[in-house]
Amino acid sequence: MTHIAWEKPENAPEEVVQGGIQWKYLIGLIALFIGIGYLILQGTVSGARYFISVDELLSGDYVGKTVRISGAVIGESIRYDPQNLIIDFNIANIPTETKDLARTLYEAVHDPNATRLAVHVRNQVKPDLLQNEAQAILTGKLGADGVFYATEVLLKCPSRYEEVAPNQAIADPMAGK
Amino acid sequence: MLAELGFIATFLAFLAALYAAGMAFYSVRVRDDRLLLSARNAALATFPLLTISLGALLVALLSEQYQIAYVWNVTDPNTPTFFRLTALWGAQAGSLLFWSGIMSAFAFGALLLNWQGQRRLMPYVILYTMLTLAFFLSLSLFFENPFERYWIMPDNSVVKSVFALGGAVPPASVRLAETANGLNPLLRHFGMIVHPPLLYMGFVGFIIPFAFAMAALASGDLSTNWLKATRRWTLLAWVSLSLGLVLGGRWAYDVLGWGGWWGWDPVENAAFLPWLLGTAFLHSVIIQEKRGMFKVWNMFLMLGTFSAVIFGTFATRSGLVDSVHSFARSQIGFPLFFFWFGMTSVSVGLLLWRWRRGELRDERRLNGWLSRESLFVLNNIVFVMLFIAIFWGSFGAPIFSELVMGTTITLGKDYFLQVTPPLFLALFVLMGVAPLSAWGVTSLRRLGKALIVPTVLAALIVGLLALTQPAEPLALLIYGVIALSGTVALWETVRGAAARHRSLGEGWYTAFTALVARNRRRYGGYLIHLSIAILGIGALGSELYQQETQRTLAVGQSLELGGYVMRYDGFLGGQVAEDGRIMDIAQVTVLRDGREIAQLRPRRDFYPNAQGMNTMTIPSAHSTLENDFYVLLVDWETISARSATFKVFINPLINLIWWGALLLVIGTIIGMYPEDRPALATAKAAQPSQLAGAKA
Repeated sequence: MTHIAWEKPENAPEEVVQGGIQWKYLIGLIALFIGIGYLILQGTVSGARYFISVDELLSGDYVGKTVRISGAVIGESIRYDPQNLIIDFNIANIPTETKDLARTLYEAVHDPNATRLAVHVRNQVKPDLLQNEAQAILTGKLGADGVFYATEVLLKCPSRYEEVAPNQAIADPMAGK
Repeated sequence: MLAELGFIATFLAFLAALYAAGMAFYSVRVRDDRLLLSARNAALATFPLLTISLGALLVALLSEQYQIAYVWNVTDPNTPTFFRLTALWGAQAGSLLFWSGIMSAFAFGALLLNWQGQRRLMPYVILYTMLTLAFFLSLSLFFENPFERYWIMPDNSVVKSVFALGGAVPPASVRLAETANGLNPLLRHFGMIVHPPLLYMGFVGFIIPFAFAMAALASGDLSTNWLKATRRWTLLAWVSLSLGLVLGGRWAYDVLGWGGWWGWDPVENAAFLPWLLGTAFLHSVIIQEKRGMFKVWNMFLMLGTFSAVIFGTFATRSGLVDSVHSFARSQIGFPLFFFWFGMTSVSVGLLLWRWRRGELRDERRLNGWLSRESLFVLNNIVFVMLFIAIFWGSFGAPIFSELVMGTTITLGKDYFLQVTPPLFLALFVLMGVAPLSAWGVTSLRRLGKALIVPTVLAALIVGLLALTQPAEPLALLIYGVIALSGTVALWETVRGAAARHRSLGEGWYTAFTALVARNRRRYGGYLIHLSIAILGIGALGSELYQQETQRTLAVGQSLELGGYVMRYDGFLGGQVAEDGRIMDIAQVTVLRDGREIAQLRPRRDFYPNAQGMNTMTIPSAHSTLENDFYVLLVDWETISARSATFKVFINPLINLIWWGALLLVIGTIIGMYPEDRPALATAKAAQPSQLAGAKA
């Protein structure tokens, strides 16, 4: 069995250069950081999108401002014009923070009192995920007509992502799938 | 039986990992070799144990054991065998166990291969790898257990448990099979065989260099030992992550049907962040090895890389971000966050402690802006800046605004398209110039001279692109800068081979292979530079000059785009595939200059049994090096299908991305391959003075 050298090995003395700060490099570095920091700041200012709920969008002063909103897709409202690639649908308000997304989406769609918002999307193929009770995360602007003009559509179907508890069908042969 | 076997093997692996970590730590305190060997054996045992666990899960998937909830959730009787295999990582619980399996494999390899050479570091390597493994296994055991089974309780409720509970009976297997969920349609793609394993290998593989870095800090052996021991491990992790990223892009391109391959989505970015720091690390270790500089910085980069890996895992698996790639919102978010926080704090604390003790002092200082070490520093700064910019855009801004302003601000694609291009361009400039500069001092004149031929070659490439591609002057200039980074690598290799050919009289092939064999690391690196340049040109072309159109066509009608004509020939509706999906297929012919060049079949797949999303729009593309003609079937007349609507993209140069990735793998293999010592010695002995042009 090979024994381990537990002690720190006696290395040859390393050539360690002493000296103060190398100012010209430091200044160059700071200039570079400032330049890139400015770039990031500028990008942040122009690229920032408030991520808000439908309720917040409609109660605040957001008309004409680019924002990101989240809502539950109401399946029966989806209208799609494939020739002109225009999609219209409604979403219902859901809270921005939610624990059980699938349940929140279900409740939002079935709650007649939940705030609803019409969404209009141009020049986009209807996403496969655009269906009832999907969560839509939309980037766009609220028009003066009360319609949300979305330029970017991200959809999430919780049942796809979250393990679906087996319904009673596993236990009960009479229950539908 | 399989569930019990898998669970017990996982549990034993967890105990072995804990034992190994504890015993490794204790062996250092009492300085006892036998205890350390015991720790090592326990650490080695985790790999066969987890192989048994994963094997049990795999057999359960293949033999349709639907009582196991994971199997029920990711497969159904229609799932083809091939996708039963990939279902192993098709959802959170399986992929977490798979992740731990890969981690134990890496630890197993490192403990066997590096044991003799790095005995002093080994107790701490065991400690850090096994603590990390034990943490991930605890997630599998206590939060996301892939071996839980369904049971019917006496009150007819359904519960999940690995072992039978009192009075519980298993559900009828017919009912289980009938109700099984099936694999998420998005994951039924060729890319899903290789993309997740590669990405995990990339992520997990960084555990080895990280553990060695921590071992160096903890043991006080702060020489270059840890770097030498981990160079190949780092390269293996790096190339896996690189390929994982590109294949993820390819999957998005083939499956998501939006015509692009990189969307600056937070989850994509989470995987890209460790790549940036890992790449910076691969460059800056060269300076420490050659010049004894940047010791603290290298440590910092490695700790940062692994910290980014764990953060990325947390972000992807906790439901922190909304993304098409993310897993379910899960209970493992908090444990992962605390693990990430604790691990990062301990590593940074150790680093600061050694630093303050003055044990990480550099042996040399920077000399001149154009020296190779200065350019490497710049390269590192740009990588780190890209890291900061992308981290800020993906996670920093939303979290910061939430904490400070009480409202979430997200940054979209615009932000990334505004901030990252100048930084990428700077990287390409440095990639072009740095290999030509010398250690110590380099003059502008010398650099300029060395750049002449590569610049001419780059100009030729730009000329070719100008003739075949749509491009404005600014784009051509950027193409030129990217091309230059590749031509420098190419020319340096040719120059080296030419020097051997001239001075040693070797044939070109022998000169080239001998040159590469003499310094695989350098020439492997050059090939990687060339591949990144090719990839960069592809990314730029496809991003800047994508063309698109959409049109409804009756059978026999055509549309035109970018010199191509597409004719709609007919429709095959309701085709049933082997796995039960129903395909609606449009038949189109692509023509160029009046000649038929391709028959494409864009289609829509319908999965009647899938829960949630059940349709997939599958594009079809005609690919050439010049561009892709990419067609999506948008809609069709349901009854007669006499007309159908298509969305068509032309993606210029996109195939360079995939070809670049292939070259990148070859370059990395060359760079990782052990040096041919005897050949090196012979070559040196033969004509040492005449090889100046082919300097290693």
